[in-house]
Amino acid sequence: MSIEQVPSSLRDLLADIFEVTPEQITTELSMETVENWDSFRHLQVILAMEEEYGVQFDPKRIPELTSVGLPQAELTKKGAAL
Amino acid sequence: MQGDPDRQDLRRQIKEAVDAKNAAAAVNSARKLLAVSSKSADVIFCSSAFSAIGDALCEQLGMRRLKTYIVRSVTLEPILAALAVEAVLANYALDIQVGGYGSYVDELLNPTSALAQFQPELILIILDYEELAGRLPELCSDGIGATVENEIDECCVRMEQLLRNYRAGSSARILFQGLVVPDLTSLGDVGDANLPHGLTNSVQQLNRRLAALCRSISDCVFFDVDRIAARHGRARWRDARLFLASRLPVSTEFFQDYSRGLIRIFATLFRAPRKVLCTDLDNTLWGGILGEDGPEGIATGSTFPGNCYLEYQRYLRLLSARGILLAIASKNNEDDVREAFQIRSADIALSLNDFVVYRINWNDKSQSIREMAKELSVGLDSFVFVDDNAVECAAVRQQLPEVAVVEAPVEEPWRLVEVLAGQPFFDAAVVTEDDANRVKEYKAQAQRTELATSTASRDEFLASLGIVCTFQSALRAPLARAVQLLAKTNQFNLTTRRHSAAEVEQFASATGGQAVVVRVRDRFGDAGVVGLALAQTQGDSCRIDSLLLSCRVIGRGIETALLAYLCEQATRDGAKRLIGEFVATKKNAPCVEFYPANGFKRLIASQDTTSDSIFYELDLNDLKLATPQWITLEGI
Repeated sequence: MSIEQVPSSLRDLLADIFEVTPEQITTELSMETVENWDSFRHLQVILAMEEEYGVQFDPKRIPELTSVGLPQAELTKKGAAL
Repeated sequence: MQGDPDRQDLRRQIKEAVDAKNAAAAVNSARKLLAVSSKSADVIFCSSAFSAIGDALCEQLGMRRLKTYIVRSVTLEPILAALAVEAVLANYALDIQVGGYGSYVDELLNPTSALAQFQPELILIILDYEELAGRLPELCSDGIGATVENEIDECCVRMEQLLRNYRAGSSARILFQGLVVPDLTSLGDVGDANLPHGLTNSVQQLNRRLAALCRSISDCVFFDVDRIAARHGRARWRDARLFLASRLPVSTEFFQDYSRGLIRIFATLFRAPRKVLCTDLDNTLWGGILGEDGPEGIATGSTFPGNCYLEYQRYLRLLSARGILLAIASKNNEDDVREAFQIRSADIALSLNDFVVYRINWNDKSQSIREMAKELSVGLDSFVFVDDNAVECAAVRQQLPEVAVVEAPVEEPWRLVEVLAGQPFFDAAVVTEDDANRVKEYKAQAQRTELATSTASRDEFLASLGIVCTFQSALRAPLARAVQLLAKTNQFNLTTRRHSAAEVEQFASATGGQAVVVRVRDRFGDAGVVGLALAQTQGDSCRIDSLLLSCRVIGRGIETALLAYLCEQATRDGAKRLIGEFVATKKNAPCVEFYPANGFKRLIASQDTTSDSIFYELDLNDLKLATPQWITLEGI
């Protein structure tokens, strides 16, 4: 799967949390550009992804995963079925 | 997960319901969705949907909106979606604000803090070890812990100061969360279990002390989160990685259970418990069908599966002992049922006498329940109905939506108690003596009804009861009972204001204020504290803010005696006139004529034209109200 695209399961998940449509979710979206992606939602995003894909992120990395492409790459690296 | 058609379908239904502002449909579909999926994404989806129709939830479903402030030292933000959603499913629309991590002391003490400015109706105080008793693990390290008691004392003193200070300036209801007992300790399982001051014992002791502290503060309830953690497994309750990295106190998988536990506890501060458990007989109170199997054939007693039903009967006995009224709605021949209770008395934990009312006939059960509610003078919303028959359950749900219906698991009778106990219907943070005596009192009521039919005139009947009224300050009587009356009295309640304990205290202690309770007994029994009046004299007029009486005792002149007592006190405080107020509700028709019937004149130009209040006036120079002659006053 190309890293340029966001798989639909991840798109749907993030759309719920950011309260936008799945079509609006791209790899470039980041805490800087999404109004609803504040530090409070950030932990929510991480927890929801861990739950959805059955993975655990390294807590040291969590604060750095601030645009859609970054956790997506992490998930791919961990072998999550995106 | 995205392929799950049910889930997608339910989400679409919720979206449509939100677009159409149909609150009931949105809540229904959300309930179904969350029953098939507890994923964060779905919980967040529901939470967004509910917040988009917040007003509709309150207007259409009568949901209670609660301004809620969370005082905390841990990360709760990721849990808020689950908390808000579960609250809606329990009929509360939470408007939540969360305080800072380290600022709980300032928030509780500073009159200009964010908490004070928010003016919440409910505050949740959720603090962790570090804040409550950070030194405990160290002090408990050897299990001897001479200083452990000191640390616990100090913690309680500190929390008491915070709570009392806050209470002095706010009447918000308070939920105070305790600590989760740690799963792994340095003393190991054996040391921790056997040494008096191991960490486990000490945390449990601290929890007990905090619970006692909460009992001593008005409108404050202790949330023993350890019970919930233990139920689901303390080992998995907290994810150490996320707690240490982000101070998240609960693992993701328990957000829902934690939220439910919390809501079930704080709901007792806002909602009166139900009063009546109405049970079916066949395949519910006992196994099998009496009409077919005969009294010897029904399953009850000490051997399986009869003991499943015995457990249920014993559970009902326990409920009855704390004042829950037991009733029967069964389709059977009454004579057969009497015979069964007699023949199998050794195998049934209850006798027919333990039920204050029953309908054993072939009528519609909704009809039976309606009749029993009337006979007991309680609302249908006080009833819980237990039946194994899905059709009967559905019929009652449909015809009497106020009644809570529990479907007995007919194929798994061993689960009956668990299913019932899992429901919050009878939850109460406080059980008063009056509650415990209630069953006796309802039996006395039946005797009075009998006497009423055998005596000629009303006055003669009332005189024969030998009614004795005692008036007391609400502060001298159990305050909890006064607040309980405010919360649950519907029929004879002139203004239906649900004041908190703190507000009652204000009436009692203000100059010219009155907070009076009335206790009533007669030759058949002691009804306990059954009425309350709150009034305030200012200048030459005394305004009655609240006046209410339990429906068990209305129509015996006690309401007039209470009013006469208020007149006397108001005159003493310098009032020349008494102002009564009536606010009509769906339920308080029995007291609509109360003020006019006692000589009050309606004030045409009401002081407050924006509200639904009707005001009445009584000139105290002109008319003195008298206590009815059949009532004896005591202790004035």
